[in-house]
Amino acid sequence: MAPVVTPAPYDLKNAITANRLLGLWRMLTGYRWLYLAATTSLAIAALAKTSTYLLLRHFVDNVLGRTADLVVLALMGLGFVGLALLEGGFSFLSGRLASLTAEGIALRLRTYLYDHIQRLTFAYHDNMQTGELIQRSTSDVDAIRRFFADQAIGMGRIVLLFGINFAAIWRLNMTLALVSVIIIPLIVVMSIFFFKRVSKAYEKYQEQEATLSTVLQENLTGVRVVKAFARQGYEREKFERENWGKFQRGKQLLTMHALFWPTSDILCGLQMLLGFTVGALMAINGTITVGAYLAYAGLIIWLIFPMRNLGRLIVQTSTGMVSYGRVVEVLSQEREPLTEGSYRPADDVRGEIEFRNVSFGYQADSPVLQEISFHVRPGESVALLGATGSGKTTLVNLLPRFYEYTGGSLTLDGVELKEYPREYLRRQIGIVEQEPFLFSRTIRDNITYGVGRDVPDEEVEAAARAAAIHDVILSFPEGHKTLVGEKGVTLSGGQRQRVAIARTLLKNPRILILDDSTSSVDTETEAEIRSALERLMEGRTTFIIAHRIQSLMNADQIIVLEKGKIIQRGTHEELVAQEGFYRQIYDLQARIESELAVELSVSGNGHGETANERHPHGIDV
Amino acid sequence: MADNYEFEEEEFTTQFNGGTLRRVLGLLKPHWRWVIGFLITIAVTAVLDSVFTLLSKRMVDDAIIPGNTTVLYQTVAMYGSLVIVQAVLVLGFIFLAGILGERVQYDLRKKLFNHLQELSFSYFSRTPVGWIMSRVTSDSERIAQLVTWGMLDVTWAIISVTSSLIFMAIINWRLALVVLALIPILLVIAVWFKKRILVEYRNVRKLNSKITGEYNQNITGVRVVKALGREQANLDEFSVLASDMYRASFRAAWLSALFLPAVQIISAVAVGSIVFYGGLQASYGGLTIGGIQAFISYITFMMWPIQDLARVYADMQHAIASAERSFSLIDARPEVADRPGALDPGTICGDIEFDHVDFWYEEGKPVLRDFCLTVKAGETIALVGPTGGGKSTIVNLMCRFYEPKRGVIRIGGRDYTELKLHAIHSRLGVVLQTPHLFSGTIRENLRYGRLDATDEEIEEAAKLAGAHDFIITLDKGYDAEVGEGGNRLSVGQKQLISLARAVLARPEIFIMDEATSSVDTVTEALIQRGMEQLMQGRTTFVIAHRLSTIKRADRILVIENGGISEMGTHAELLRKRGHYYKLYTQQFRQERAVEYQELFGELAMVAAA
Repeated sequence: MAPVVTPAPYDLKNAITANRLLGLWRMLTGYRWLYLAATTSLAIAALAKTSTYLLLRHFVDNVLGRTADLVVLALMGLGFVGLALLEGGFSFLSGRLASLTAEGIALRLRTYLYDHIQRLTFAYHDNMQTGELIQRSTSDVDAIRRFFADQAIGMGRIVLLFGINFAAIWRLNMTLALVSVIIIPLIVVMSIFFFKRVSKAYEKYQEQEATLSTVLQENLTGVRVVKAFARQGYEREKFERENWGKFQRGKQLLTMHALFWPTSDILCGLQMLLGFTVGALMAINGTITVGAYLAYAGLIIWLIFPMRNLGRLIVQTSTGMVSYGRVVEVLSQEREPLTEGSYRPADDVRGEIEFRNVSFGYQADSPVLQEISFHVRPGESVALLGATGSGKTTLVNLLPRFYEYTGGSLTLDGVELKEYPREYLRRQIGIVEQEPFLFSRTIRDNITYGVGRDVPDEEVEAAARAAAIHDVILSFPEGHKTLVGEKGVTLSGGQRQRVAIARTLLKNPRILILDDSTSSVDTETEAEIRSALERLMEGRTTFIIAHRIQSLMNADQIIVLEKGKIIQRGTHEELVAQEGFYRQIYDLQARIESELAVELSVSGNGHGETANERHPHGIDV
Repeated sequence: MADNYEFEEEEFTTQFNGGTLRRVLGLLKPHWRWVIGFLITIAVTAVLDSVFTLLSKRMVDDAIIPGNTTVLYQTVAMYGSLVIVQAVLVLGFIFLAGILGERVQYDLRKKLFNHLQELSFSYFSRTPVGWIMSRVTSDSERIAQLVTWGMLDVTWAIISVTSSLIFMAIINWRLALVVLALIPILLVIAVWFKKRILVEYRNVRKLNSKITGEYNQNITGVRVVKALGREQANLDEFSVLASDMYRASFRAAWLSALFLPAVQIISAVAVGSIVFYGGLQASYGGLTIGGIQAFISYITFMMWPIQDLARVYADMQHAIASAERSFSLIDARPEVADRPGALDPGTICGDIEFDHVDFWYEEGKPVLRDFCLTVKAGETIALVGPTGGGKSTIVNLMCRFYEPKRGVIRIGGRDYTELKLHAIHSRLGVVLQTPHLFSGTIRENLRYGRLDATDEEIEEAAKLAGAHDFIITLDKGYDAEVGEGGNRLSVGQKQLISLARAVLARPEIFIMDEATSSVDTVTEALIQRGMEQLMQGRTTFVIAHRLSTIKRADRILVIENGGISEMGTHAELLRKRGHYYKLYTQQFRQERAVEYQELFGELAMVAAA
């Protein structure tokens, strides 16, 4: 494998500033000399170009027709080739150095952002859209790359060409130099104005393209609806409308181009012609030599025409600056410190957990958890029961310090949780979610993901077997090497959960957080998952977010939550024996069964089967 | 944006396909006047470019050196007027070629889209949406570019090179020969570079979409990453990818940076030899000063047409590949289409009969086998059974989205392939499991059911379907935007809208695929009522998931393994204690639990599980 490229070291945190140009300058840290070298090469290339024309002057004035000396002539010829080599070589060098700079900056930014984003807090990710973050990490980074690779250096090129050629013409003749730049301000102003307008028109054009794509996409994904209603004609008209709209906007855009380029051609042409005329008159008068005129006729082209593009570059630069702003917004977010913490035992934890008046709120004024107190002995299992929003997920999220409890005390093995480094803590805790997220890698990679060591095949297989997923994996064409996701196989919710169980088995944590929902799996796999989970729970302190009576019944402790508070606590037997929420739920199950029996006997005996009779929805409690 | 990552595929065809090229050029046929227009304007522009150089030569040789101001002013006047003439021509070709480009793209997209409306279901089920999207969007753009700007560039380049050569030959034919010899070398090098650069950038694009994918994974899976403490390992892996990107991108950039200098240096050799030769000749008067200047500027500016030629050549392979793919779409024939002499009987009411129907999507994997069923007009049929059992296939065949591979389906006693597709489709009311709405307002979506419906009729349909009440609570009522794919509405609301849409269509046959996802009880009751409205007096097929729907059916069909495993009324089937019985009890528990949710909150679900 090709080696990893390390960009110039610089903590991008320091590049954050409200002044975007200053910010971009700071991003250049570590590459400034390189970029300076790129600019210098550019200047040398421009000088060589200019020298070509000066050499032409020398050739016409002093050599041509005055000597037929082969050596002199050959030297002249070689002079031109040499200058071209110089120009070509240095302009290549400049391009290479500039892209080295730009790519280096992009690499540094990309890697930094990648790492930064995965270390941002849960709270940040809760509120940020994935698409938005991706766009900032990709297209905005690319806009910054282009700023350094094309725009900044391109502007430098235009300015250098102008400066050097202007100086050269100035040395030929001052009047001529001044005459040559009369219309240039107009050209530049016009170009800036035009490119501003055109970039707006282009945006509109692109918007219309997006609209058109949407119509197309909806037509394709909704092909059943289109066909079922026989709406092909209507769809054609709809598409026609947007397609025609795009054609019209394209026309507008092109009309702008069709007006700008010829107009600027006329301006540039007249400016050149003015220079030619004045220069020619001077040459006739003898103010300048014929050679000087020829040199001038070449130089003026490089003075004028690049100016037309200045507007484009100036307008494009603004996108680079906007992108800088968007990237910095992400960079300025605080990371989650992973290694901070005063207590780091050498061994694994035992898994004794105590909540004492723990409270938590995402916002200071609206508590999600209040006065949570309970004690879990090592190896015990706790089932959490409660409606959505009652706080059970939040409660378990406090354990790996995904969120920081805001009040009370939460201890693990008698030590305050905040004293443990997050990194250590998360190694001690395994989480099996309801519908775990799998990565588009092979199944094996997914099972060994985050284990943090090389795992032999036998061990992976054993874990897969224990998680009751081994047979499923073997049924795939490439076994453990089968890709998961878009480009590979799609796993069902239950299969994903079992992969997560295998992963957690390998990780072998002391504390376990389980979401035991099996709503989406059929009964056969449910039993398999159940036994897999039981194997997983053995000997570990386990928190179960319960969705089934069965997992509640087996738990050492059941905690019923409502609106962030514990309303009942105890074992199944204890809770069933007392009036309350838990008993109600338990009774409900019995009631449904008896209702079913009634329903079956009624229907089965041939009553209540009339096709159009509504089934009574009344609930009699 | 994040959802449509680059659709990767083979970008080049190996062989040059003349037939495709001819067909591409055929796209210009309706607009041949425009084509002639831009070809002439660009050709004249190219010739004028060479004339300017000639005028500069005249300025030096005939005005400056002899000191003749009359010739100078003459030349200046000519130069000036040609500048203006050329500007007009430039305006002309940008306008003509540019707008033609847009037009060709418009034409092609229209053609593709209209053709897509004709294609059968089978085409859409085996062709990914992304693939089709690329054909209609990027490929049509690339093809249009080739036939307009590409053709323009090539014309300009060829005329420009030729006229320069002719003028050079007039000035000095021997030197012109030297330049002529140089052109193929320049071309070969330029083409090599352009191709390489294209390949490199393709590589960069690929890596870029990988990087985007990697970001996507890591952001959507950030909770897992954190929980497993995998940050460092991820960073290490990403660094490898980012380094690959760095190398590829840098390589593409420096290759591009090398291109112009390389071409320039070669032309400089020509310039050098002209200086040498001109110096030799000058003593004999073979080459004037203006002549030398003209040669130098002809050679210097020759690299532009050369690089344009190379670029178009490199792009062309790309564009031809695009054209091949687009044409393959245009050439695809619908598998289900009107037979010759197909008729519209004016109604499709009547008994429906599946007569020994076999069907498969893939050869050798039968989905329905010898399927027989007769449905009386007005009957309600509930289809239940496991996923993949064939329920949807029956419905698809009923809608004639597909046709039987063997056997016959009759409507009112007549083989339905004798009918016009439109005659069937326009009389169906279909409600899908995941309702599809189009961006636009609620009103527009409802009107999809019947295009000439008045606002009153729309409202009436919405009321019948039970959608009216929630619609009027929305900010703009019927004029509220539903968002892309209807994503501003909940699933239940989308279902109500699609029911109302079907009500408005006044179908003769109603087909419904019930949603499995649970919606709140109020909406659920509304949906049930809306369905009832639609079922009244119509032949109805329901892929049913809810007990109330199933029990309301005249007949229940349990579909398993491509056939009917149980059939009868609710009571009959319960007595059998077979598959239906199992399904029913399971469903009963779940639905009950959902009902109890109102009293116990979602914990009721715990009891049913």
